[in-house]
Amino acid sequence: MRDYWLSKMFFDLQQPALAAEFRKDRQAVFARYPLDQRVKKALLEDDAPFLAERTNAYLLRYYFFATGMKDAEFARRLRGG
Amino acid sequence: MRAGCAVASFAGAFASSHGPLIVREWDSVPSNEKERLQKAFKELGRRVTAARPDVLVTVSPDHWANFFLDNYPAVCIGVGATNEGPPEPWMKAFPSRELAGHAAFAMHVAEEALRSGFEPSISHRLKLDHGTCIPLWRMELAKMPALVPMLVNSIEPPMPSLARCLEWGKLLRKAIESFPGSLRVGILATGGLSHSIGEKTMGAIHEDFDRETIRLFSSSEQSLVQYLEEQLPSRGNGSEEVRNWLVAHGAAGGQGFELVDYLPVPAVIVGCGFASWR
Repeated sequence: MRDYWLSKMFFDLQQPALAAEFRKDRQAVFARYPLDQRVKKALLEDDAPFLAERTNAYLLRYYFFATGMKDAEFARRLRGG
Repeated sequence: MRAGCAVASFAGAFASSHGPLIVREWDSVPSNEKERLQKAFKELGRRVTAARPDVLVTVSPDHWANFFLDNYPAVCIGVGATNEGPPEPWMKAFPSRELAGHAAFAMHVAEEALRSGFEPSISHRLKLDHGTCIPLWRMELAKMPALVPMLVNSIEPPMPSLARCLEWGKLLRKAIESFPGSLRVGILATGGLSHSIGEKTMGAIHEDFDRETIRLFSSSEQSLVQYLEEQLPSRGNGSEEVRNWLVAHGAAGGQGFELVDYLPVPAVIVGCGFASWR
């Protein structure tokens, strides 16, 4: 399954200016996309397994990279750790 | 084609792995692996240079640099006179912001494809992301050939079939050998071998799969495709990029390649392979 708007936000966050804005104020960036409440909650909790079911794996990696999370921590979260 | 009219020639086919961590985490790669990677990239660069290509068809996935879910083509040919360098901020040290294309040859490939029952997308200006640019950068080519990007979807399902990728390679060869002019055209496939990105198995490298895949490139197309069809679903999503190697294999006539090097590199989470076709 693909959540279009979640994926679109991840795609857009490849733009450095938006990524910088995101690091300052996540909620402001979330507000620009029609995201489901459960999705917003998963984003705020860095719930990688929940998000992984709704987007492309490469986009998900970009997103967590944009949050500043190291790959090792991202991989641990993907495994539900 | 009129009798006696010169046509382009096939200069050779090559393949190289890529991966963001080859740049982003280069300093954390153990020195022995770093040395082997450097040596392999340079040797591949030496071979590409020795083949004297005027044009290099680069076969790579698009890592969401150009396409999104609105429209993600199975195959896209870059027909522009110029393409853009890598958009990733961590690739800013890549020496070129623009890379010359070869519009006439690229359009000939697209037209030959359409005449032959293939339906590629075309783009007059592409961003060439790390998938294309890391190998070009690390090979340290003294002179960059004109680049004709061929983006093959190995990122977002559904993807073109493995058999189709082989056929694409054969079509490229046909297009090369029917293009009027004395152009020399090489092919550089990038990506693979095994790796896993953004999924539960992230970081896994399947050396057994990689080595068997390498072996089967010297076997029949049927054996190779059958093995890959069976194995790819359980060998990490990055392994799907072997499609690009199949394009090179098809173009080179399926005679197998000389392995420049293969090494699994956990620090860059890729089974790194480098090859030049016979």
